[in-house]
Amino acid sequence: MAMTFLGYRRENDAVGVRNWVAVISVMDNCNPVTRTIAQTVSGCIPVTTLFVRGQFGADLDFAYESLAGLGRNPNVAAVLLVGLEDSSTEEVARRIRTTGKPVETVHLQPNGTIDCIAAGTRKALKLSLAASRARREPCPVSALVLGVECGGSDTTSGLSCNPAIGRLADRVIEAGGTIIISETSEFIGAEHLFAERAVDDSVRDAFVKAVRGMENLAIERGVDMRESQPSPDNKRGGLTTVEEKALGAMAKAGSSPLVGVLRYGEAPVKKGLHFMDAPAAAVENLSALAAGGCQLTFFGTGVGNPIGSMVAPTVKVCGNVNTLETMADNIDFDASGILEKGQKISDVGDRLYAYAMDVASGTRLSSEILDIRETAISRFALSL
Amino acid sequence: MPRAIVLNQADNVATLLDAGRAGEPCTLQGEASGQMTLLQDVPFGHKVCIADTPQSADVLKYGQVIGRASRNLKAGEHMHVHNIESTRARGDLEKR
Repeated sequence: MAMTFLGYRRENDAVGVRNWVAVISVMDNCNPVTRTIAQTVSGCIPVTTLFVRGQFGADLDFAYESLAGLGRNPNVAAVLLVGLEDSSTEEVARRIRTTGKPVETVHLQPNGTIDCIAAGTRKALKLSLAASRARREPCPVSALVLGVECGGSDTTSGLSCNPAIGRLADRVIEAGGTIIISETSEFIGAEHLFAERAVDDSVRDAFVKAVRGMENLAIERGVDMRESQPSPDNKRGGLTTVEEKALGAMAKAGSSPLVGVLRYGEAPVKKGLHFMDAPAAAVENLSALAAGGCQLTFFGTGVGNPIGSMVAPTVKVCGNVNTLETMADNIDFDASGILEKGQKISDVGDRLYAYAMDVASGTRLSSEILDIRETAISRFALSL
Repeated sequence: MPRAIVLNQADNVATLLDAGRAGEPCTLQGEASGQMTLLQDVPFGHKVCIADTPQSADVLKYGQVIGRASRNLKAGEHMHVHNIESTRARGDLEKR
Protein backbone atom coordinates (compact mmCIF):
# COMPACT_ATOMS: atom_id res chain seq x y z
CA MET A 1 0.00 0.00 0.00
CA ALA A 2 1.33 3.42 -0.91
CA MET A 3 2.24 5.66 2.00
CA THR A 4 0.26 8.84 2.47
CA PHE A 5 0.49 11.74 4.87
CA LEU A 6 -2.03 14.28 6.09
CA GLY A 7 -1.41 17.62 4.43
CA TYR A 8 -3.11 20.88 3.53
CA ARG A 9 -4.12 21.06 -0.11
CA ARG A 10 -3.64 24.58 -1.45
CA GLU A 11 -5.35 26.62 -4.17
CA ASN A 12 -2.69 25.64 -6.73
CA ASP A 13 -2.79 21.92 -5.77
CA ALA A 14 0.50 22.15 -3.89
CA VAL A 15 0.37 20.49 -0.47
CA GLY A 16 1.50 22.09 2.77
CA VAL A 17 2.67 20.17 5.83
CA ARG A 18 2.12 23.22 8.04
CA ASN A 19 -0.54 25.88 7.91
CA TRP A 20 1.01 29.20 8.79
CA VAL A 21 0.31 32.81 8.04
CA ALA A 22 3.72 34.15 7.04
CA VAL A 23 4.41 37.74 8.04
CA ILE A 24 7.18 38.68 5.62
CA SER A 25 9.44 41.73 5.64
CA VAL A 26 9.95 43.25 2.21
CA MET A 27 13.20 44.82 3.47
CA ASP A 28 15.28 45.02 6.63
CA ASN A 29 13.72 48.24 7.98
CA CYS A 30 10.39 46.39 8.38
CA ASN A 31 11.71 43.59 10.59
CA PRO A 32 10.70 45.08 13.96
CA VAL A 33 7.09 45.42 12.79
CA THR A 34 7.13 41.92 11.27
CA ARG A 35 8.31 40.40 14.55
CA THR A 36 5.77 42.33 16.63
CA ILE A 37 2.81 41.26 14.49
CA ALA A 38 3.93 37.62 14.36
CA GLN A 39 4.37 37.55 18.14
CA THR A 40 0.94 39.08 18.70
CA VAL A 41 -1.12 36.89 16.38
CA SER A 42 -1.01 33.13 16.92
CA GLY A 43 -0.64 30.99 13.83
CA CYS A 44 1.90 33.40 12.33
CA ILE A 45 5.60 32.98 11.60
CA PRO A 46 7.92 35.97 11.11
CA VAL A 47 10.03 35.86 7.95
CA THR A 48 12.62 38.59 8.31
CA THR A 49 15.34 39.59 5.88
CA LEU A 50 18.42 41.78 5.67
CA PHE A 51 19.07 44.53 3.12
CA VAL A 52 16.84 44.69 -0.03
CA ARG A 53 16.66 48.49 0.35
CA GLY A 54 19.53 49.70 -1.82
CA GLN A 55 19.85 46.50 -3.81
CA PHE A 56 19.40 46.97 -7.54
CA GLY A 57 19.23 45.22 -10.87
CA ALA A 58 19.57 41.45 -10.92
CA ASP A 59 20.52 41.42 -7.24
CA LEU A 60 17.26 43.15 -6.28
CA ASP A 61 15.23 40.87 -8.50
CA PHE A 62 16.89 37.92 -6.82
CA ALA A 63 16.00 39.28 -3.35
CA TYR A 64 12.36 39.83 -4.34
CA GLU A 65 12.15 36.40 -5.93
CA SER A 66 13.59 34.70 -2.85
CA LEU A 67 11.16 36.47 -0.50
CA ALA A 68 8.31 35.63 -2.86
CA GLY A 69 9.47 31.99 -2.96
CA LEU A 70 9.17 31.81 0.82
CA GLY A 71 5.66 33.27 0.54
CA ARG A 72 4.71 30.81 -2.20
CA ASN A 73 5.87 27.83 -0.10
CA PRO A 74 2.84 25.56 0.39
CA ASN A 75 3.36 25.51 4.18
CA VAL A 76 2.17 29.10 4.03
CA ALA A 77 -1.63 29.43 3.93
CA ALA A 78 -1.63 33.19 3.57
CA VAL A 79 0.85 36.07 3.56
CA LEU A 80 1.01 39.45 5.23
CA LEU A 81 3.75 41.54 3.63
CA VAL A 82 5.24 44.32 5.72
CA GLY A 83 6.83 46.98 3.53
CA LEU A 84 8.25 50.45 3.77
CA GLU A 85 6.27 51.77 0.85
CA ASP A 86 3.80 50.59 -1.71
CA SER A 87 5.73 49.86 -4.92
CA SER A 88 8.36 47.46 -3.56
CA THR A 89 5.72 45.71 -1.46
CA GLU A 90 3.49 45.23 -4.49
CA GLU A 91 6.43 43.84 -6.45
CA VAL A 92 6.73 40.98 -3.97
CA ALA A 93 2.96 40.59 -3.50
CA ARG A 94 2.46 40.20 -7.26
CA ARG A 95 4.92 37.29 -7.35
CA ILE A 96 3.19 35.46 -4.48
CA ARG A 97 -0.36 35.98 -5.77
CA THR A 98 0.34 33.62 -8.69
CA THR A 99 -0.36 30.79 -6.20
CA GLY A 100 -3.88 32.05 -5.57
CA LYS A 101 -3.30 32.31 -1.81
CA PRO A 102 -4.44 35.40 0.13
CA VAL A 103 -1.77 38.13 0.22
CA GLU A 104 -2.30 41.26 2.32
CA THR A 105 0.06 44.22 2.66
CA VAL A 106 0.82 47.00 5.13
CA HIS A 107 3.33 49.87 4.88
CA LEU A 108 5.31 51.97 7.30
CA GLN A 109 4.79 55.07 5.14
CA PRO A 110 3.05 57.39 5.68
CA ASN A 111 1.62 56.70 9.15
CA GLY A 112 4.55 55.15 11.00
CA THR A 113 5.21 52.17 13.21
CA ILE A 114 2.26 52.10 15.59
CA ASP A 115 -0.41 52.48 12.91
CA CYS A 116 1.39 49.90 10.74
CA ILE A 117 1.48 47.39 13.61
CA ALA A 118 -2.21 48.01 14.36
CA ALA A 119 -3.28 47.60 10.73
CA GLY A 120 -1.03 44.58 10.25
CA THR A 121 -2.25 42.90 13.43
CA ARG A 122 -5.88 43.25 12.30
CA LYS A 123 -5.08 41.82 8.87
CA ALA A 124 -3.07 38.97 10.38
CA LEU A 125 -5.94 38.18 12.77
CA LYS A 126 -8.31 37.73 9.84
CA LEU A 127 -5.81 35.69 7.82
CA SER A 128 -5.04 33.45 10.80
CA LEU A 129 -8.73 32.87 11.48
CA ALA A 130 -9.37 31.98 7.83
CA ALA A 131 -6.30 29.69 7.70
CA SER A 132 -7.53 27.80 10.76
CA ARG A 133 -10.50 26.56 8.71
CA ALA A 134 -8.17 24.42 6.57
CA ARG A 135 -8.20 20.69 7.36
CA ARG A 136 -5.55 18.07 6.74
CA GLU A 137 -6.43 15.36 4.24
CA PRO A 138 -4.61 12.26 2.97
CA CYS A 139 -2.05 13.24 0.32
CA PRO A 140 0.38 11.16 -1.75
CA VAL A 141 4.14 11.20 -1.14
CA SER A 142 4.47 12.46 -4.72
CA ALA A 143 3.30 15.85 -3.41
CA LEU A 144 6.40 16.17 -1.23
CA VAL A 145 9.48 18.21 -2.07
CA LEU A 146 12.07 17.53 0.61
CA GLY A 147 15.37 19.31 1.09
CA VAL A 148 18.38 17.33 2.30
CA GLU A 149 21.18 19.17 4.01
CA CYS A 150 23.89 18.66 6.61
CA GLY A 151 25.64 20.85 9.14
CA GLY A 152 27.92 20.46 12.10
CA SER A 153 29.15 17.39 10.23
CA ASP A 154 31.74 14.95 11.51
CA THR A 155 32.92 11.53 10.40
CA THR A 156 29.78 9.87 11.79
CA SER A 157 27.69 11.97 9.34
CA GLY A 158 28.91 10.18 6.22
CA LEU A 159 28.51 6.79 7.90
CA SER A 160 25.13 7.09 9.62
CA CYS A 161 22.78 10.09 9.44
CA ASN A 162 23.55 11.08 5.82
CA PRO A 163 23.13 7.58 4.32
CA ALA A 164 19.93 7.15 6.38
CA ILE A 165 18.66 10.39 4.82
CA GLY A 166 19.79 8.97 1.46
CA ARG A 167 17.58 5.95 1.98
CA LEU A 168 14.67 8.27 2.81
CA ALA A 169 15.44 10.22 -0.39
CA ASP A 170 15.33 7.04 -2.49
CA ARG A 171 12.02 5.98 -0.91
CA VAL A 172 10.44 9.40 -1.53
CA ILE A 173 11.61 9.41 -5.16
CA GLU A 174 10.37 5.83 -5.68
CA ALA A 175 6.96 7.05 -4.49
CA GLY A 176 7.01 9.84 -7.09
CA GLY A 177 8.25 12.66 -4.85
CA THR A 178 11.07 15.18 -5.17
CA ILE A 179 14.36 15.65 -3.30
CA ILE A 180 16.64 18.69 -3.46
CA ILE A 181 20.27 18.46 -2.36
CA SER A 182 22.33 21.65 -2.37
CA GLU A 183 25.43 23.08 -0.62
CA THR A 184 27.56 23.51 -3.74
CA SER A 185 30.93 23.86 -2.00
CA GLU A 186 30.34 20.57 -0.21
CA PHE A 187 30.46 18.67 -3.48
CA ILE A 188 34.09 19.61 -4.09
CA GLY A 189 35.90 16.29 -4.21
CA ALA A 190 32.81 14.15 -4.83
CA GLU A 191 31.38 15.87 -7.91
CA HIS A 192 32.87 13.30 -10.32
CA LEU A 193 30.75 10.59 -8.69
CA PHE A 194 27.56 12.64 -8.48
CA ALA A 195 27.93 13.92 -12.06
CA GLU A 196 27.74 10.32 -13.31
CA ARG A 197 24.18 10.17 -12.04
CA ALA A 198 22.94 13.01 -14.27
CA VAL A 199 20.21 11.93 -16.68
CA ASP A 200 21.76 13.80 -19.61
CA ASP A 201 24.71 15.95 -20.65
CA SER A 202 23.00 19.27 -19.99
CA VAL A 203 22.17 18.33 -16.39
CA ARG A 204 25.67 16.98 -15.86
CA ASP A 205 27.32 20.07 -17.33
CA ALA A 206 25.15 22.43 -15.26
CA PHE A 207 26.01 20.55 -12.07
CA VAL A 208 29.76 20.39 -12.77
CA LYS A 209 29.79 24.05 -13.79
CA ALA A 210 28.23 25.05 -10.45
CA VAL A 211 30.78 23.09 -8.41
CA ARG A 212 33.74 24.27 -10.50
CA GLY A 213 32.43 27.83 -10.21
CA MET A 214 32.50 27.57 -6.44
CA GLU A 215 35.99 26.08 -6.45
CA ASN A 216 37.21 28.81 -8.81
CA LEU A 217 35.84 31.43 -6.45
CA ALA A 218 38.33 30.22 -3.82
CA ILE A 219 41.14 29.94 -6.37
CA GLU A 220 40.53 33.39 -7.88
CA ARG A 221 40.58 34.99 -4.47
CA GLY A 222 43.90 33.31 -3.83
CA VAL A 223 42.58 31.82 -0.62
CA ASP A 224 42.93 28.42 0.93
CA MET A 225 39.38 27.16 1.32
CA ARG A 226 40.56 24.96 4.17
CA GLU A 227 39.96 27.92 6.51
CA SER A 228 36.20 27.39 6.18
CA GLN A 229 35.78 23.98 4.54
CA PRO A 230 35.87 21.87 6.59
CA SER A 231 34.84 24.23 9.41
CA PRO A 232 36.64 24.15 12.78
CA ASP A 233 33.89 21.98 14.36
CA ASN A 234 34.00 19.59 11.37
CA LYS A 235 37.73 19.19 11.99
CA ARG A 236 37.25 18.58 15.70
CA GLY A 237 34.80 15.87 14.64
CA GLY A 238 37.53 14.20 12.58
CA LEU A 239 36.80 15.51 9.07
CA THR A 240 40.14 16.41 7.53
CA THR A 241 39.46 17.70 4.01
CA VAL A 242 36.57 19.05 1.93
CA GLU A 243 36.86 15.94 -0.25
CA GLU A 244 36.20 13.71 2.76
CA LYS A 245 33.30 15.92 3.86
CA ALA A 246 31.83 15.94 0.35
CA LEU A 247 31.94 12.15 0.01
CA GLY A 248 29.97 11.86 3.26
CA ALA A 249 27.59 14.72 2.41
CA MET A 250 26.69 13.23 -0.96
CA ALA A 251 25.24 10.17 0.81
CA LYS A 252 22.16 12.30 1.61
CA ALA A 253 21.17 12.14 -2.05
CA GLY A 254 20.73 8.34 -1.98
CA SER A 255 21.22 6.58 -5.30
CA SER A 256 18.57 8.06 -7.62
CA PRO A 257 19.43 9.71 -10.94
CA LEU A 258 19.95 13.49 -10.96
CA VAL A 259 17.15 14.95 -13.09
CA GLY A 260 17.64 18.70 -12.73
CA VAL A 261 19.84 21.58 -11.59
CA LEU A 262 18.15 24.56 -9.94
CA ARG A 263 19.24 28.14 -9.37
CA TYR A 264 19.22 29.48 -5.82
CA GLY A 265 15.63 29.37 -4.53
CA GLU A 266 14.24 28.01 -7.79
CA ALA A 267 11.29 25.59 -7.52
CA PRO A 268 11.60 22.28 -9.39
CA VAL A 269 9.07 21.57 -12.14
CA LYS A 270 10.02 17.89 -12.46
CA LYS A 271 9.83 15.08 -9.91
CA GLY A 272 12.93 13.25 -8.71
CA LEU A 273 16.38 14.24 -7.47
CA HIS A 274 17.51 17.83 -8.02
CA PHE A 275 20.62 19.81 -7.17
CA MET A 276 20.26 23.46 -6.13
CA ASP A 277 23.28 25.75 -6.54
CA ALA A 278 23.39 27.64 -3.22
CA PRO A 279 25.85 28.46 -0.43
CA ALA A 280 26.33 25.75 2.18
CA ALA A 281 25.92 27.55 5.50
CA ALA A 282 22.89 26.12 7.32
CA VAL A 283 20.55 29.11 7.61
CA GLU A 284 21.39 30.38 4.14
CA ASN A 285 20.94 26.97 2.56
CA LEU A 286 17.73 26.10 4.43
CA SER A 287 16.30 29.45 3.30
CA ALA A 288 17.17 28.68 -0.32
CA LEU A 289 15.52 25.23 -0.07
CA ALA A 290 12.39 26.74 1.52
CA ALA A 291 12.23 29.42 -1.20
CA GLY A 292 12.37 26.59 -3.74
CA GLY A 293 9.23 25.07 -2.23
CA CYS A 294 10.55 22.35 0.09
CA GLN A 295 7.94 21.54 2.71
CA LEU A 296 10.46 19.84 5.01
CA THR A 297 14.23 19.81 5.30
CA PHE A 298 16.22 16.83 6.60
CA PHE A 299 19.42 17.88 8.29
CA GLY A 300 22.15 15.38 9.10
CA THR A 301 24.43 16.45 11.93
CA GLY A 302 27.40 14.94 13.71
CA VAL A 303 28.77 17.38 16.28
CA GLY A 304 25.40 19.18 16.30
CA ASN A 305 23.88 22.31 14.77
CA PRO A 306 20.49 23.24 16.26
CA ILE A 307 19.17 25.87 13.82
CA GLY A 308 16.01 25.21 11.83
CA SER A 309 14.23 26.77 8.88
CA MET A 310 11.34 29.10 9.59
CA VAL A 311 9.27 28.01 6.59
CA ALA A 312 10.39 24.41 5.87
CA PRO A 313 10.61 22.65 9.27
CA THR A 314 13.99 21.02 9.83
CA VAL A 315 14.35 17.41 10.98
CA LYS A 316 17.64 16.99 12.84
CA VAL A 317 19.06 13.51 12.24
CA CYS A 318 22.14 12.45 14.19
CA GLY A 319 24.21 9.25 14.33
CA ASN A 320 26.86 10.43 16.81
CA VAL A 321 26.19 8.75 20.15
CA ASN A 322 28.02 11.50 22.07
CA THR A 323 26.06 14.36 20.47
CA LEU A 324 22.81 12.48 21.04
CA GLU A 325 23.62 12.72 24.72
CA THR A 326 25.02 16.25 24.95
CA MET A 327 22.58 17.91 22.49
CA ALA A 328 19.58 15.63 22.95
CA ASP A 329 17.22 18.64 23.10
CA ASN A 330 18.14 19.58 19.54
CA ILE A 331 17.95 16.20 17.82
CA ASP A 332 14.72 14.81 16.37
CA PHE A 333 15.87 11.43 15.05
CA ASP A 334 18.46 9.02 16.47
CA ALA A 335 20.46 7.19 13.77
CA SER A 336 23.22 6.02 16.14
CA GLY A 337 22.13 2.37 15.91
CA ILE A 338 24.05 2.16 12.62
CA LEU A 339 27.45 2.62 14.27
CA GLU A 340 26.62 1.49 17.80
CA LYS A 341 24.42 -1.56 17.24
CA GLY A 342 25.22 -2.62 13.70
CA GLN A 343 21.74 -1.67 12.46
CA LYS A 344 21.36 -1.60 8.67
CA ILE A 345 21.32 1.81 7.00
CA SER A 346 18.25 0.66 5.04
CA ASP A 347 16.36 -0.22 8.24
CA VAL A 348 17.20 3.06 9.94
CA GLY A 349 16.36 4.92 6.71
CA ASP A 350 12.99 3.15 6.50
CA ARG A 351 12.28 4.20 10.08
CA LEU A 352 13.22 7.76 9.10
CA TYR A 353 10.79 7.55 6.16
CA ALA A 354 7.95 6.54 8.50
CA TYR A 355 8.92 9.39 10.83
CA ALA A 356 8.96 11.78 7.86
CA MET A 357 5.32 10.90 7.17
CA ASP A 358 4.48 11.66 10.82
CA VAL A 359 6.25 15.01 10.64
CA ALA A 360 4.56 15.82 7.33
CA SER A 361 1.26 15.02 9.04
CA GLY A 362 1.90 17.45 11.87
CA THR A 363 4.29 15.93 14.41
CA ARG A 364 6.34 18.89 15.57
CA LEU A 365 10.12 19.22 15.67
CA SER A 366 12.48 20.49 18.33
CA SER A 367 13.38 23.65 16.37
CA GLU A 368 9.69 24.48 15.93
CA ILE A 369 8.76 23.94 19.56
CA LEU A 370 11.79 25.80 20.92
CA ASP A 371 11.47 28.40 18.13
CA ILE A 372 15.12 28.16 17.10
CA ARG A 373 14.42 29.17 13.53
CA GLU A 374 16.01 31.75 11.27
CA THR A 375 15.93 33.05 7.71
CA ALA A 376 18.88 34.37 5.68
CA ILE A 377 18.64 35.11 1.97
CA SER A 378 22.00 35.15 0.22
CA ARG A 379 23.13 38.19 -1.69
CA PHE A 380 25.64 38.30 -4.45
CA ALA A 381 26.31 42.01 -5.01
CA LEU A 382 26.84 45.20 -3.02
CA SER A 383 24.09 47.79 -2.56
CA LEU A 384 24.19 51.27 -4.03
CA MET B 1 39.08 -2.26 22.73
CA PRO B 2 38.28 0.74 20.48
CA ARG B 3 36.62 -0.07 17.14
CA ALA B 4 37.86 1.32 13.82
CA ILE B 5 35.80 1.01 10.62
CA VAL B 6 37.34 0.52 7.19
CA LEU B 7 34.95 1.51 4.37
CA ASN B 8 36.73 0.13 1.30
CA GLN B 9 39.43 -2.47 0.77
CA ALA B 10 41.58 0.10 -1.02
CA ASP B 11 41.54 2.52 1.94
CA ASN B 12 44.67 3.43 3.85
CA VAL B 13 42.67 4.96 6.74
CA ALA B 14 40.14 3.66 9.25
CA THR B 15 37.73 5.77 11.31
CA LEU B 16 37.71 5.29 15.09
CA LEU B 17 34.23 4.59 16.47
CA ASP B 18 35.58 4.91 20.03
CA ALA B 19 38.37 7.08 21.38
CA GLY B 20 41.72 5.24 21.46
CA ARG B 21 44.90 5.70 23.49
CA ALA B 22 48.52 5.51 22.32
CA GLY B 23 49.83 1.94 22.55
CA GLU B 24 46.32 0.48 22.59
CA PRO B 25 45.26 -1.99 19.88
CA CYS B 26 42.04 -1.19 17.98
CA THR B 27 39.78 -3.70 16.23
CA LEU B 28 39.31 -3.20 12.52
CA GLN B 29 35.81 -3.81 11.19
CA GLY B 30 33.90 -3.22 7.98
CA GLU B 31 36.02 -3.99 4.91
CA ALA B 32 39.01 -5.14 6.97
CA SER B 33 39.62 -7.25 10.04
CA GLY B 34 42.38 -7.76 12.59
CA GLN B 35 43.98 -5.27 14.92
CA MET B 36 46.09 -2.15 14.60
CA THR B 37 48.14 -0.67 17.43
CA LEU B 38 47.65 3.08 17.79
CA LEU B 39 50.88 5.09 17.84
CA GLN B 40 49.14 8.17 19.29
CA ASP B 41 45.90 9.00 21.08
CA VAL B 42 43.12 9.15 18.47
CA PRO B 43 39.85 10.94 19.40
CA PHE B 44 36.39 9.53 18.62
CA GLY B 45 35.62 9.86 14.92
CA HIS B 46 39.20 10.62 13.91
CA LYS B 47 41.24 8.51 11.52
CA VAL B 48 44.12 6.10 11.92
CA CYS B 49 46.55 5.09 9.18
CA ILE B 50 46.24 1.36 8.41
CA ALA B 51 48.95 1.03 5.74
CA ASP B 52 52.30 2.82 5.51
CA THR B 53 51.82 5.74 3.09
CA PRO B 54 54.66 7.78 1.54
CA GLN B 55 54.60 11.57 1.35
CA SER B 56 52.40 12.94 -1.51
CA ALA B 57 50.58 9.61 -1.95
CA ASP B 58 46.79 9.65 -2.10
CA VAL B 59 44.85 9.13 1.11
CA LEU B 60 41.83 6.92 0.42
CA LYS B 61 38.56 6.63 2.35
CA TYR B 62 35.34 5.21 0.86
CA GLY B 63 37.75 3.99 -1.84
CA GLN B 64 38.04 7.64 -2.93
CA VAL B 65 40.79 10.25 -2.69
CA ILE B 66 40.25 12.54 0.31
CA GLY B 67 43.63 14.28 0.02
CA ARG B 68 47.35 13.49 -0.01
CA ALA B 69 49.88 12.62 2.67
CA SER B 70 51.83 15.74 3.60
CA ARG B 71 54.63 13.53 4.97
CA ASN B 72 55.54 9.85 5.25
CA LEU B 73 52.92 8.06 7.35
CA LYS B 74 53.17 4.88 9.36
CA ALA B 75 50.37 2.44 10.05
CA GLY B 76 48.92 3.26 13.48
CA GLU B 77 49.43 7.04 13.20
CA HIS B 78 46.62 9.51 13.89
CA MET B 79 45.73 11.01 10.50
CA HIS B 80 44.24 14.47 10.30
CA VAL B 81 44.95 18.02 9.13
CA HIS B 82 48.56 17.80 10.39
CA ASN B 83 49.49 15.03 7.92
CA ILE B 84 46.77 14.99 5.22
CA GLU B 85 46.13 17.94 2.96
CA SER B 86 43.31 18.76 0.61
CA THR B 87 44.14 19.18 -3.07
CA ARG B 88 40.97 21.09 -3.97
CA ALA B 89 40.07 24.80 -3.98
CA ARG B 90 43.65 25.67 -3.06
CA GLY B 91 43.85 29.31 -4.11
CA ASP B 92 46.86 29.63 -1.82
CA LEU B 93 48.84 27.20 -4.01
CA GLU B 94 47.83 28.90 -7.28
CA LYS B 95 49.08 32.22 -5.93
CA ARG B 96 52.61 30.99 -5.16
